[in-house]
Amino acid sequence: MAPTNTSHRQTHNLLLISKLLSLRDTASPLALVLDSLEQPATPLIKEYIRRAKLSKVHITFVAFETLKPLEGVDAFVAARKKSPLEIIKAVNAAYTNGSTSGPSRRRLILIDAINPLLHARRTDAHFNVSSFLSSFLMPQGPAASKVEASLVVTFHQDVPSPPLPSPYTPSPLSMLTYLATTIIRLHSFSHILAQKAARDRSLVPPVFGLEEELDGVLLGRLDKPIGNESAQGVVLELEHRRKSGRGVLEWYILPPASRYPPQYAKEIVTLLDDHPLYRPPQEPDFGAGEEEPESTFELRLTDRQRRDREGVVLPYFDAQQGDGPGEGGRILYDMGEEDDFDEEEDEI
Amino acid sequence: MSFRKRNIGLSTGGDRTGSVNASAQSQQAPAAPESTPGVRPSPDDGRPTTSTGTPSLDNILAGHGGLPIGKTLLVEENGTTDFAGALLRYYAAEGVVQDHRVHVVGMPEQWGRSLPGLIGPADAVDDKQDKRKGERMKIAWRYERLGEFGAGIAGSRVPTATSGDQSQPTADGSPDKRPAFCHAFDLTKRLTHPSIANLNYIPLTPSNEPLFTTIHKRLDAAIASSPPNTVHRIVIPSLLNPTIYPPESSQPDSVLPFLHSLRALLNTPGVRATAMITIPLTLFPRATGLVRWMELISDGVIELCPFPHSADALATSGAATSHEEPPQGMLKTHRLPVLHERGGGSDQNVGQDWAFTLSRRRFEIKPFSLPPAEGDKEGQDGAVPGNMPKKADLEF
Amino acid sequence: MPTQPPLPPLLAPYVSSLPPSSLIVLSTVLGAQGNWLTLRYLYAALNASSTSDAALILGERHNGKKQKVVLVSFLRGWEFWRAEAKRLGLDLARLTDKRQFAFVDGLSELFSGPRTTPTTTTTTTTQTTPPSLVPSPRGGPVPQRTILPSRSAPGPIPARGPQPARGPAAVAAPAPLTPSAPSAPPASSREIGPVKRLHLSGKGPAALDRLEKDIAAVVAHLSGRATATAEGEDDSEVLLVLDQPDLLLAATGPGQGIGATEMTEWVMGLQQYVHATVMTLAADLPLIHNASAAAHQMPTPLETEHAAFAIGSAHRAHLVMQLRDLDTGAARDVSGVLRVSKGGAWGQSDNTDANGSWEEKEALYFVQRDGGVSVFGRGE
Repeated sequence: MAPTNTSHRQTHNLLLISKLLSLRDTASPLALVLDSLEQPATPLIKEYIRRAKLSKVHITFVAFETLKPLEGVDAFVAARKKSPLEIIKAVNAAYTNGSTSGPSRRRLILIDAINPLLHARRTDAHFNVSSFLSSFLMPQGPAASKVEASLVVTFHQDVPSPPLPSPYTPSPLSMLTYLATTIIRLHSFSHILAQKAARDRSLVPPVFGLEEELDGVLLGRLDKPIGNESAQGVVLELEHRRKSGRGVLEWYILPPASRYPPQYAKEIVTLLDDHPLYRPPQEPDFGAGEEEPESTFELRLTDRQRRDREGVVLPYFDAQQGDGPGEGGRILYDMGEEDDFDEEEDEI
Repeated sequence: MSFRKRNIGLSTGGDRTGSVNASAQSQQAPAAPESTPGVRPSPDDGRPTTSTGTPSLDNILAGHGGLPIGKTLLVEENGTTDFAGALLRYYAAEGVVQDHRVHVVGMPEQWGRSLPGLIGPADAVDDKQDKRKGERMKIAWRYERLGEFGAGIAGSRVPTATSGDQSQPTADGSPDKRPAFCHAFDLTKRLTHPSIANLNYIPLTPSNEPLFTTIHKRLDAAIASSPPNTVHRIVIPSLLNPTIYPPESSQPDSVLPFLHSLRALLNTPGVRATAMITIPLTLFPRATGLVRWMELISDGVIELCPFPHSADALATSGAATSHEEPPQGMLKTHRLPVLHERGGGSDQNVGQDWAFTLSRRRFEIKPFSLPPAEGDKEGQDGAVPGNMPKKADLEF
Repeated sequence: MPTQPPLPPLLAPYVSSLPPSSLIVLSTVLGAQGNWLTLRYLYAALNASSTSDAALILGERHNGKKQKVVLVSFLRGWEFWRAEAKRLGLDLARLTDKRQFAFVDGLSELFSGPRTTPTTTTTTTTQTTPPSLVPSPRGGPVPQRTILPSRSAPGPIPARGPQPARGPAAVAAPAPLTPSAPSAPPASSREIGPVKRLHLSGKGPAALDRLEKDIAAVVAHLSGRATATAEGEDDSEVLLVLDQPDLLLAATGPGQGIGATEMTEWVMGLQQYVHATVMTLAADLPLIHNASAAAHQMPTPLETEHAAFAIGSAHRAHLVMQLRDLDTGAARDVSGVLRVSKGGAWGQSDNTDANGSWEEKEALYFVQRDGGVSVFGRGE
């Protein structure tokens, strides 16, 4: 890729992720975060909260599987044992309660995991994910209509889905991916590195955790799988649908939260391709191979040898001379000083 | 300090331990005689164990020398053979001979009539076998006859002994007087024993209640109504087999609560019972979650994988050369009672490949070794008389 | 005598000083059961208060808070836990008397009602405890082997002599015996016995709610509060150990209105009452992977729900301790592999100092015959 092209892509896509994570311009009303045990969404959710705090967005956390409110959350709605309708009511009430304190016009609704809701027996057949989610974005009532709401829904990819009520209905995951304007798949950086390293050697990329399909293995993550402290971070595989309909696909990396202060306002996400571990900067090719021996044989030719080789007239040139059948085809070669001619063996 | 450790081991349940623990609460403890027939303390930790009726199966049960009281053993079998059924029959027959109360679930009374006939205490048979290993083939054969003769006497003595000398302590040194722990049986004969009529058959009759609830209630009632010292054996052949059980019984919410209740029943203080369950793996593969849960609820899990072509070897070969027979299948121990519950490991038999051989009079489990190559086998067969002892030496 | 320390050094950071409202998932397989590890959690929590010398070490880390444990076991009875804890030097019966430990029996009567045997069906506190709950001498072992021959006499009472006032008759005493436990009305302590037996009655989530209430009552009783409230400022921390609650899910199933979500919510409900929760789950291959998308067959509901519950719990866990068999097959000096991984909820709370010592690692373990456990790295 040409350098100009790269830098264009860099600025463009970095601007996009910055906009998405900071919820500017309601770039994406519904973001779907697909995580797994190998890379849970917690760091990304915390990043969402951090940025929302910075820009004073009202945060509602709908907890299906979290017990304690995360730090920085304005309203915490425990969805345990609640029906979808009750959840919607509680979420809407949370904002009207909270809005009295501060006139923030934007709100962020985080759902820590949608899987329990999709699995729950109490949700009846009429439950519809799309209407459930859209009721957050477009709440009924005139007062709330001015609010710009963004919804970030986490879906655990590795939790198996319940059997579909009807074989003709789409699965919840395909439903969610269809509805979402932004889909962020999460990968562990160390796994991405390990897989890239394998691919670079044309090996089968390794799999981790549940994909290993080992008896008794749920998680394969280890802190320092390749003994590399800096291989921390979350890789975001972003798929964004613009309003124009155009899609953008880009890979980013979110560094661990310990690397920057919580009030840091600049963009911390970088393109995966720009990470030095993923794509090490190409070192200039100076004096290639001069220092280290590559082989005990000298495979290269000196200039003189090359000249001599070019000077050899190959047999088919001689054969084309038209001396008649059976003639020609000799190797025409002028002996050099280093050639050791053997009368008995060699013949010309 | 090693003394203390043993004491701790001893206190893990059962009647003997109850009395040792000096708990006035344990109702059965004072009355429990030291020498309940067919029950002996485990050499490993002293918990009471009972024999499965198959000496070599007793030996692989994690060093306890038998099935510890209160434990369930799940025997799984691949294919359509009925090796597991043979194990069950030995188990039931052993219970009959030892005057244990045997409960048979889901089988008609013919099943009880087909129990294998008694040969004698397995110790005698084992002694004979040990000698046979060391001696020449001919002598070994003679000993075998002798042993069987003696064993027959001892075996006939056992039932009378059980009623009479209950106060005889197990610590009594002389092996002659000690009642046999395990017996040998002959599959081709029929067991005749006075207490065979006491088999408790629990039929699978449809009723308003769920089937397994009925079974559990009847088991519970039968155990509750028997004298407190009775040792019970619960035999459940071919669980979930659709020819015996109604289809809805293979629902997890039907069979798993049953197994759980069974486990609870066996773990009830004061109840001295063991259970052996067989399940056809062909219908319910191990790779399904249901079977895995059945295994998780059971204390011991062994799997029988018969070799496909060795079934006819059983018919042609005589019992006399039984220990030279080719193995008829592989036996895998997936879980052993007590050992795995504690965390596994540390058993000398763990990691061993087992092969089993069923002959007329024994179900033998021994370490599996690959047979010699095909071509070699003919040569061996030709040179049987001279080579036999050496081969036996090599094998053990 | 165990040659190994009760808490292997490699294991110690993971079993002691659990962060508040945390969930530890302990995943096991058929051949690698986690009871030894569960016992280590019991030991880490209870030992500080039962023996004085260790209290100096562990007590400081707990900020002087008293650790109490409620053990809810669905697959194993009281007798097993009592005997196994004894091998570690924990006298659960005595701890029960001292109101530091409570056992909730999810085995005996979960699916079947109380037994019909009149001798075992008992109502009062004193008799609900199994007979052998009566503490046997921990300090001075009776030379049992030597006494055995004389034991055939129907009188074990002489041996009881040396242990005075510990029998069930003395249960009225324990309440005053507990020195620092918050004083609860003694009347209520009569009703809730040291061993609570769970019984699943009814169908669906209502049945689970009932179980939750029962367990919550035990927790409340133990922590000395009249009503079960969320964990507040108190001088005791209750650790809840759930031993294989996945049995409930497997044995009921979606057909009865109990699925993975209901189970998760049930566990969450229980978590609210206690300081920290340890839960053991089966993670056998058929139970986890049959339901995955890569499976070739249609998964059964049992498999789907179990996988959803187990994986969902791992998502909710701070720490996942995974036990499995050795990949290369069974060995004589290795019982299995322990892999410690951070769960999905890792890092949600910001108090990194409490769990800063947690580091993901994989180690081998070996359970000895005497109950001692050694945990070691590969090649050590």
